[in-house]
Amino acid sequence: MSVNKIVSDDNRKVEISVVGRFDFSLHQHFRDSYSSNNDNNVEFNLNLSETTYMDSSALGMILLLKDHAENCSGKVVISKPSESVNKILEIAQFHRLLTIVT
Amino acid sequence: MASTLRDRNVKLALVVDDSAMQCKVLSVLLKEEGYRVFTANDGARGVAMYIKYSPDLVLMDINMPIMNGYEAARKIKSLSQDNSLCPLIFITSMDSDQAFIESIDAGGDGILVRPFSPEVFKAKIKSIQRISDLYAQVKTLQQEQQNDAELAEQLMSGVIESRNFAIDRIGIIKKAAELFSGDIQLTALAPNGDINAMLGDFTGHGLRSSIGAIPLAETFRTMTKKGFSLFEIINQINHQLYDLLPTDLFLGAGFASISSHDESVYLFNAGLPDVYLFSDKGIIKHKTSSSHPPLGVLPKLLPDSKLTVVSIEETDRVVLISDGIVEARNEQGEMFDFSRFEESVKQGVLQQNVSKIVLKSVNDFCQNMPQEDDISLIDIPCGGWEQDLVSSQGVESFSVEQLNDISLSTESAWHWQLSLTGSRLAAINPIPMAMSQINEIEGNAEHWQSLYTILTELFVNSLDHGVLGLSSDLKASAEGFSQYFLERERRLKNLIDGSIELQISHYPFPSGGRIIIKIIDSGQGFDIKEYYEKKALKSDDTSMLSGRGIVLVEQLCDSLDFQGKGNIVEVSYVWTT
Repeated sequence: MSVNKIVSDDNRKVEISVVGRFDFSLHQHFRDSYSSNNDNNVEFNLNLSETTYMDSSALGMILLLKDHAENCSGKVVISKPSESVNKILEIAQFHRLLTIVT
Repeated sequence: MASTLRDRNVKLALVVDDSAMQCKVLSVLLKEEGYRVFTANDGARGVAMYIKYSPDLVLMDINMPIMNGYEAARKIKSLSQDNSLCPLIFITSMDSDQAFIESIDAGGDGILVRPFSPEVFKAKIKSIQRISDLYAQVKTLQQEQQNDAELAEQLMSGVIESRNFAIDRIGIIKKAAELFSGDIQLTALAPNGDINAMLGDFTGHGLRSSIGAIPLAETFRTMTKKGFSLFEIINQINHQLYDLLPTDLFLGAGFASISSHDESVYLFNAGLPDVYLFSDKGIIKHKTSSSHPPLGVLPKLLPDSKLTVVSIEETDRVVLISDGIVEARNEQGEMFDFSRFEESVKQGVLQQNVSKIVLKSVNDFCQNMPQEDDISLIDIPCGGWEQDLVSSQGVESFSVEQLNDISLSTESAWHWQLSLTGSRLAAINPIPMAMSQINEIEGNAEHWQSLYTILTELFVNSLDHGVLGLSSDLKASAEGFSQYFLERERRLKNLIDGSIELQISHYPFPSGGRIIIKIIDSGQGFDIKEYYEKKALKSDDTSMLSGRGIVLVEQLCDSLDFQGKGNIVEVSYVWTT
């Protein structure tokens, strides 16, 4: 399990990827991955292509990221969720709250 | 024995050494530090003394007859209770890495190599005692926390589960992964006889996730009892949780309202696995998938949110589950999943105990694997509820004296009225408002249930057939029933003009009272004469789906009249105490 982050050269895009299980144990790592990016209009791209499992606390963490982004007039895009993760996002109807790119 | 020797302020030390001289030296130093000291000259005797006195500190030589220091240390550490560390220090003249490693392996908390100065010895004792004190403090806090958690859990389940409705007929599985379940199951009876049920799954587990459960349960029960519609209840719960909970805490929830009267179930799924409707053969008749983000995420429900209406038969069952069931895993890492779940419900329906069979299947599947998530289910039969309403309402008969009272009372004690127009009609349910007026003025009473039914039926009648102009012919078939609700929703949404006036007057008499309800709608009305003729013809057919509302009202009232062009209805409801 790990959280990786890539920031674009112009600081406009932050890609966060979660590898393996995305659950409460990643709470601190996940928060650390975005909390220092306070610039305005940043697009946070949450890459879930290598996430094998996600629980409801992970959904909560995504909502915290969304709050953070919106406080800086930015946005969150979830990209390439794996099939099992997408199912969880679907049950939670997260596509009504965020952009999800499959 | 040991306890009579213990004075809480005096710490006990045990010195185990085969040299009487060494014992003496260490004893003197320990006494200077305020310890009361016991000595033993071999390992076996040391263990015996440890059992007898449970000291706060043990000093242990390594090379001793009968039982050496390592063995004695292992015995002592295996005996020491969970809530005290009882530090053990090896005292030796073997200054080797090997001795150091073995000491720690044997359970020692430190090693002192001779020769050492009295100051070094005392410093070592102080540092080890500090660690021991910290350990005891942590243990005490942990114990207190555990006690508090158990108390809170008792209170919580007292508030929540014990007040559920019909726990004898509604099957519930509640198997928490921790002391506190993040899952919550609620059932309640609405004044019109509908059964409301909710299965909720808060984010995470433990105390943190059950914090929202009490306000949630209160809102669900109070609003159900006051007669708010399921949708209004969901709307309020969402709003409340949004206000109350932090961003990352929310509630996946499934709702079902079973209406024997409408022969329908109203369903809503916000973030739970599919909600099921099973037939009496265990066949899946319907599934409602999640159509809304979990509650407490958004300040308001999404604008296109609506309940799903499904026709039911008396023998059907509604089953709600949390993801803990389908995601339960066995040793091979496989999930229980939907196909096993559906099959187990089928077996459960056939054996007439859904909750028991499903729980057994999950347990058999998981064997000894630790439970990762809360497991919960609600299984509600769709039939057999009407008697709950009838038994609590029943039409009373009056004595001659009472009838005199009734005819004598002509003076109204109070009058309440409310006019709703246009889009307000779609947004506001006036019945709970009317009921709360009556409750406030006349006090709470069981027989207001009948009044609630009367008001609801008449209001819905005026709104549907009067203002919205819906024909009840649509409801003649089970399929038409759903279509009727879709059409109703569409027309309500587009409602611009139209009005309903609701008037309630109360005429008290010595042992009871009369309430006159008059409802005037802006609709076209209907041919009253034709209605009564038709009604006379249909009177034997009790299975018809429409018109039962008015029949029920007639049973509960002592008179019902349609007036004007059929757009005015007036009923009189009399009760005695």
